[in-house]
Amino acid sequence: MMPLIRIPGDWYDGVIPSNVELGENAHIDTSYGLALIDSTRRPCLIMAAGSGSYTTSFVMGPNGRVTVGSCTCLNSPFLICQESITIGSHCLVSWGAVITDTDLGQRESRGTNQQMLRRAAADPDRRLAPLTRPLPVIIEDAVWIGFGSVVMPGVTVGRGSVIGCKTVVDQDIPPYVVVAGNPLRVVRELDPPGRDQSPGVVPG
Amino acid sequence: MTMPTSRFHILAPGLAIPGDWHPGRVPNNIEVGQNTVIDSSFSFLHYEATGPLGLRVGSNVTLWRTALSVGPGAVIEIGNYCYLANASLACTERITLGSYVLVANGVTIVDSDFHPIDVDARIMDTIALSPTGDRGKRPRIEARPVVIEDCVRIGFNATILKGVNVGTGAVIAPGAVVSRDVAPGRWVAGSPAREIPPGEGS
Repeated sequence: MMPLIRIPGDWYDGVIPSNVELGENAHIDTSYGLALIDSTRRPCLIMAAGSGSYTTSFVMGPNGRVTVGSCTCLNSPFLICQESITIGSHCLVSWGAVITDTDLGQRESRGTNQQMLRRAAADPDRRLAPLTRPLPVIIEDAVWIGFGSVVMPGVTVGRGSVIGCKTVVDQDIPPYVVVAGNPLRVVRELDPPGRDQSPGVVPG
Repeated sequence: MTMPTSRFHILAPGLAIPGDWHPGRVPNNIEVGQNTVIDSSFSFLHYEATGPLGLRVGSNVTLWRTALSVGPGAVIEIGNYCYLANASLACTERITLGSYVLVANGVTIVDSDFHPIDVDARIMDTIALSPTGDRGKRPRIEARPVVIEDCVRIGFNATILKGVNVGTGAVIAPGAVVSRDVAPGRWVAGSPAREIPPGEGS
């Protein structure tokens, strides 16, 4: 078994699980947000070259896998993953944003929901077992997700788009638009980058 | 290095939580049922209840990274089998949750606006709150109790504002800002929150 890695100078007394794959110069500032990774997949979390995670909370079930592209910055969001969350390269994800591939009992009947809560209470680790099938989430390259937003299960956010702060994204978002509001609407269209400006260079 | 055997610890009055990353204790003036757990004393960072009781929690409740901010003389009451994940409860008078209430990540529940709307009073408030100010001179700020009844589900990053009553079995969609009562079994979404057909929206 691979050794568990302790982050130098980490204020939290935890480790990076051995099934986290870090690319060149990828950075995780603290293990605090890794304490709720239950995933046994190898890898369960991929942080590509030059990506950074700053006090991001990963809440992951046994089959969860989160993939984070190069030069993407996760600035204290919550990623709740039972199956698959894929975030592209050059993305910005702001504080308090929730990206989830799992509905937490919202669509269930009252009785089913009570059953889920009774099951969680019987588990010393208090895992909330999802009752609905997870739906993978895809955030394409160069997307910016504003603070306090919620990206719901099954959603794809198109390349280059911006999600305004506190927006609830419950539908696919096309590439190169700005959406905002709750309920959301498209408030602006963005010019796709010219060929010579397109991202793709990863600083070593 | 120590690895905690469990992420949660049984909540008890006055407890120093084993392996707690935050140097604090659970306050003494709380009442807790059986098998109710918490992850850290950090939840009580702004717990200022001075009365005999500032928090009453039932049995089989899970409190994970949840801020329990209770003002002097205020009380938060939580029933049985509730699950609160990374919620912020800021209480100046009374916030009551029934049983089987599911509070998803990032939810805020408040029973006050914390500052006056009126401009003159608000300016006075900033002076009283300044680092050398006299907090005893803060203007009176109205609090109106919040009641969340049994089996309510509150979605990610939703907000419940002062005076709101959420009826049994209601569903608050993610991101909703709720400033008016929600009748039993109804669904609301948006900012400001409006009723939607059950099962629709996010």
